[in-house]
Amino acid sequence: MNIQFTLKKNICLLVACIAFVWTSCRLEKISPVAESAKDITGTWKVISATRNGTNLIPVFDFSQFNIKFDASAGTYSLVNPVPFIIAADGKFALDDPNFPFKITFTATGSSSVTTVFNYPIVSGARQITLTFSPGCAQNSYVYTLIKK
Amino acid sequence: MKTRLRIKGKKLWLLCAVVLLGISLSCCYLIINSVNQPASAVVGSTVSITVNATSHTNSSGTAHMIFGILAPKGWNLSKNAKVTYTSSKGNGNMTLIPAAIINNHAGGLSWAAYMKSFFGLEGNLIDDMEWIPFQSDAIITYANGDLMTVAINIQITNIGADNNPTLVKLAYVIANDVNAFTFDGNDGDSSPTSEYYNEFTTPCFSLTGGTGDLVDFCNPQLTTIDPPKSLDNDIVTLTYNNNIVSTPLGTNAANPAVYICATATTSDGKTLNACTPGPKTMMTQTSAGSGVYQITFWPKALFGATTGQSIVSMTYYITNQAGTIQVGYGNTAAAFTYKFKCL
Repeated sequence: MNIQFTLKKNICLLVACIAFVWTSCRLEKISPVAESAKDITGTWKVISATRNGTNLIPVFDFSQFNIKFDASAGTYSLVNPVPFIIAADGKFALDDPNFPFKITFTATGSSSVTTVFNYPIVSGARQITLTFSPGCAQNSYVYTLIKK
Repeated sequence: MKTRLRIKGKKLWLLCAVVLLGISLSCCYLIINSVNQPASAVVGSTVSITVNATSHTNSSGTAHMIFGILAPKGWNLSKNAKVTYTSSKGNGNMTLIPAAIINNHAGGLSWAAYMKSFFGLEGNLIDDMEWIPFQSDAIITYANGDLMTVAINIQITNIGADNNPTLVKLAYVIANDVNAFTFDGNDGDSSPTSEYYNEFTTPCFSLTGGTGDLVDFCNPQLTTIDPPKSLDNDIVTLTYNNNIVSTPLGTNAANPAVYICATATTSDGKTLNACTPGPKTMMTQTSAGSGVYQITFWPKALFGATTGQSIVSMTYYITNQAGTIQVGYGNTAAAFTYKFKCL
């Protein structure tokens, strides 16, 4: 009969709708991409330096100073040193290879020094920003390094 | 028919007096009337200072009283000063305001930084000073038209904790934490001030004794060193100002650059020299004809100190390019002296 036909039609429609709804969602399993280890291997030079907020670049020659990091050996070396967080060559370590927040320098034969490690990407290039006091504790220096 | 406003002379004066009285009652002010402070003291002694102020309010409310002192950082007044007050609204103590407390008017700055940015160094010439902020431990309630007198007493123990003889202009500010350093908008009225705060800078205070070098915040110096406190592993900027007095070096135009002739004393008792006019010792003029010459150097490198050597002090002269003319401390034949230390 007409009523039966309409009912059947509606049931079919309902089943079709449920089927569509059921199949429309698909659970996708996304595996998180592992954060890459921060490799700072290379030779870095100073591009910005301040002392208590005063720009030192125009008045002090940083052009000859370099720091070379070798991540595989965990060592660093200074070329033509300037007042820096550490005065001699030695070993370095990041507190976390993937998400580093601190860097520790240990000059050969002396105690280690830890400072905050900033590693931003600026204009497509990684930079290292270090804050430290090589002399009096009240004098704060901020050096920004870029890979040569 | 014309109608005329008929006021008799006597009534006109009365009207004027009422208007003036009304204006003066509607005004508020805070003023430091006097500061009782000794002209000099000896390093390590105890010094008492009293700051007398009057406050007149034009509204009612409650607030903490704020008090700030400008003093050399080396005195460490946040530890060495005890502040109390006696007032017509009661007596009490004033406690140090922690750096974490900021005021609505301060734009995110601590009270100490707010005072420094607002008042600066109050005429002192070396930026090695700090404002130390205190507030009353009690909240003060005031009514419209209240006249309050207050005497703030500061007791500084071990004055000159850095052991340096010092000449300095100490300064004080009184305010409240609600209005901070703002105006009441009635500028030009009959109040002594139109500010909710008042600062007071004292004449040069002389601190004698001590084993360090004289730190003169009051008078322009031929040479200054930045940072004022530094070690041999700091980067140091030495500035020579040829405009203070007439020196044997002559005019600024005659000296496109001057040179430093310095002798360092090391911790192992040796002396190291940097006295040859050349690129290493050259002080360049900040701009042509300015008469202000600067050199920025790393003391360890300038004097060629070895790894184990530390430089404890240096003496220096400013010379001409030929090294034949020397200018010393206070334009005399004595050398300038500087000790590398952090206090």
